[in-house]
Amino acid sequence: MHELSMADAMVKTILDVAEKNKAEEIIEVTIEIGKLTMLNPEQLRFLLDVLSEDTLLQGSKIIINEIPVEIKCNSCDFKGSTDLDDSDHYLAIVVCPQCGERDLEVTAGRECNVQKIKIEKSDEEEEK
Amino acid sequence: MKMHKIAEVEIQHDIMVANRKLAQRNQKILDKSNVFAVDVLGAIGSGKTSLIEALIQNMGHKIGVIAGDVISKFDAGRFQKYQVPVVGLNTGKECHLDAHLVEHALGDLPLDEIDLLFIENVGNLICPVDFDLGSHLRMVVISVSEGDDTVEKHPLIFKDADLVVINKVDIAEAVGADQEKMVQDVKDLNPDVTVIKSSLKTGEGLEEIIDTLEKVIQKN
Repeated sequence: MHELSMADAMVKTILDVAEKNKAEEIIEVTIEIGKLTMLNPEQLRFLLDVLSEDTLLQGSKIIINEIPVEIKCNSCDFKGSTDLDDSDHYLAIVVCPQCGERDLEVTAGRECNVQKIKIEKSDEEEEK
Repeated sequence: MKMHKIAEVEIQHDIMVANRKLAQRNQKILDKSNVFAVDVLGAIGSGKTSLIEALIQNMGHKIGVIAGDVISKFDAGRFQKYQVPVVGLNTGKECHLDAHLVEHALGDLPLDEIDLLFIENVGNLICPVDFDLGSHLRMVVISVSEGDDTVEKHPLIFKDADLVVINKVDIAEAVGADQEKMVQDVKDLNPDVTVIKSSLKTGEGLEEIIDTLEKVIQKN
């Protein structure tokens, strides 16, 4: 639902870093989105496209990696990833897959990270 | 000759982490002025504003309110009647408050004149979940009229809650909602959370909510 504000924050971060690194072109952007965030990768991609119009980011390849959910069980010490069921994608945070108990902490799956960008720049600038 | 090269630049800028850092800063600001802050979340019409009004009238604290809404003047106006400091936060198109918006609002509040702050979030069970504000306690208010499957359908907000209020229980029968199921659904997701059934119309549960808040405030 708040993909627009998140996409806006991402575009600003990307353009800021690109400018600081004197990029002449942004070839590729890698973003990580946790599967438990309230963000829909397809909507996010659409909005990133819209917001990058007339910027250095226009036309860049955008890679969105979804980060799986990992939990830590406080009852049996299970730590690790847990499969998400498409029909009930929150079940993973509700019940420990090992012992069936419900006292869980989510340790991964809530990221919204601009991981890296691949840019093209001139060598002359690099030597400065 | 001018050469071009390809470079990979690590950014690792997580917007959630950035928000959490701002939230931590907010909490430090609050702690410095000895203000205990409660983030009040819940759907539109669940009774968030009414509950805060009841708490202002019945808690012996110097209370301040941040009223967050798409258009905040309506709720802010309701709180102003009680002569408490109120800051309205217009979120406009945004569906949730974030730590940055709250930081601005904190700057507009007389923090040294209050000891308890209610931050009313935008009516929404989805978007606010990921955004810590720097509050000391997260209270989620839902009502039976939203349907008794509300908790199952929005598990994350309940998983992160410190206190859950199930409101309007006086009309549960009329709307065909099983209030005990709602309580159990919350407990299944978050075994340690306090769940209180209330009706702000009849006053049911209000004392229990106040007692629970007082206990947490004293511990803090």
